[in-house]
Amino acid sequence: MIFLTLLFSTFREAIAKKIFLGFFAIATIIILVFLFLINVDSIEGMVDMMEFSGEEGVKQLVIGFEVAMINISYLLIITFCFISVSSFIPSMLEKGNIDLLLSKPVSRTKIILAKFLGGVLLIFLSLCYLIGSVWLILSLKSGFWHFPFLYSILWLTLSFAVIYALIILVGLVSQSTILSIIISFFLVFIVCPILYVREEAIFSLVSNSAVQFVINFLYNVLPKPSDINKITMNMITGEPVKTYMPVFTSLLFMLAALSVSIFYFKKKDY
Amino acid sequence: MNVITTKNLSKEYSSKSFSKEKILALNNFSFEVESGEIFGILGPNGAGKTTLIKILLGITHRTSGEVKIFDREISDESYKKKTGYLPENHKFPNYLTGEQVLNFFGKLSGMNSIDVKKKSEEYLKLVDMEKWKNTKIKKYSKGMLQRLGLAQSILNNPELIFLDEPTDGVDPIGRKEIRDILNNLKKEGKTIFLNSHLLSEVELICDRVAILNKGTLVKSGRVEDITALSNNYKFNTSKIEEKTLNSLLSNHKATINGSNEFSYNTGSVEELNKLIDFLRQNNVMIHSIVREKDTLENMFINLIESQN
Repeated sequence: MIFLTLLFSTFREAIAKKIFLGFFAIATIIILVFLFLINVDSIEGMVDMMEFSGEEGVKQLVIGFEVAMINISYLLIITFCFISVSSFIPSMLEKGNIDLLLSKPVSRTKIILAKFLGGVLLIFLSLCYLIGSVWLILSLKSGFWHFPFLYSILWLTLSFAVIYALIILVGLVSQSTILSIIISFFLVFIVCPILYVREEAIFSLVSNSAVQFVINFLYNVLPKPSDINKITMNMITGEPVKTYMPVFTSLLFMLAALSVSIFYFKKKDY
Repeated sequence: MNVITTKNLSKEYSSKSFSKEKILALNNFSFEVESGEIFGILGPNGAGKTTLIKILLGITHRTSGEVKIFDREISDESYKKKTGYLPENHKFPNYLTGEQVLNFFGKLSGMNSIDVKKKSEEYLKLVDMEKWKNTKIKKYSKGMLQRLGLAQSILNNPELIFLDEPTDGVDPIGRKEIRDILNNLKKEGKTIFLNSHLLSEVELICDRVAILNKGTLVKSGRVEDITALSNNYKFNTSKIEEKTLNSLLSNHKATINGSNEFSYNTGSVEELNKLIDFLRQNNVMIHSIVREKDTLENMFINLIESQN
């Protein structure tokens, strides 16, 4: 009961901050644009042409739409969701608020877990709305019910959860929303993409084995949203997934970040 | 029965992050609060009062010493189900309405939805906030937030209530209403732990007080015991002639407050009686002689100044 109260308070806070309303508004616009697009004559003509060229043609067109959708969702998550959830912990830690929360019979571990699960659940539901709607529209229109596209909801949620665990840790230590946003954006937009293409982009220029070791170490330790995004794409397009290692190491990173957050929160005086 | 017991409670803070320099917020603080009393904690700013409350509620960790609430070590958090807390400058989520605030914190205290709803209505009425219950609290004044905070602190029917500056920002009528609520809670057998800068208020409602200075307990006891009688006597008489008044002023060093009122300071009963004889000889009718008491505020200021 207490845990659920905390979980729903995270939902309520997100809605009150209106950023998620922005997410829903944009998601709705995207869904409507999709609905409009697949009904305009030129696209209808393209579908007809693909149908004429056989079932494979329709599949390719649907998958093309889905890949575009995943890229849009990925950007939406980063811009809207990260900004929104970055303030959850710093606002919870504000003087007068944290005192009251900690005076209640609820453990500090539960508070952190509720904040984490609340945020993750929120993103999951938002993605269900956006991707689920687009999937339904595409499937009804094309008659091609492509379920791997639906699974991308889980993969995108996982990508978010891994970074969100880090946002929680940064928020607890720094009590700063801005710093949480900067670090998560820096990681997702700069560090992870560079590490993802480290062999082509860095190792071809730097042959020093010590530098290569450090870069490989960072790659293995840090979360890998770019890799997870690639795995998601492969699953949608039907290409083989070479390794699930990035998923496991990202999960380990998430667990480590959460554990350190809980340990720090338990020891801290407010 | 003791509701709160601390033994040699100490708390050290680092003066800055990563600094080895320590600040002693509480120094071997030992005290007890009995069941059913209103206990006041007094002290200048930075004396360690809020730190003490935060340690008792598990918000801040102690450095050393023992703390027991309801006869249990505070590491067992179950005692919090029987406590209520109104922090100083509390901050409720401002997107909630008054009723939603009580609903949220009531459920966090372990109450079920039915009890929360029933008690919310009852206590919103008690603190005169019923008509504002559906208004978002960002529109509330400081006094309204304080009233809501008080309702929140007693919602779960706690046996022990911690109040940190409960009348802060409340007008005099509201303060009187809060005092009445606290007295009624005391009649119900609740124990109240009060931190307030308004010493006149503490004097009015507290049974016992403890005075903290620089983290150390400097005095504790019943309010009437620590506000001792002064050597000042206040006389109320019939109209005194000018010649007699002058004599009172020059020979007896009295402080004249009017033609029928003056104060006389003496530690000797004989001198007091000599003054009474003098007044009778000069045909002055004595209506009353009152030995004045030191106020808690005077005692507090004198004590802290002598310490510093």
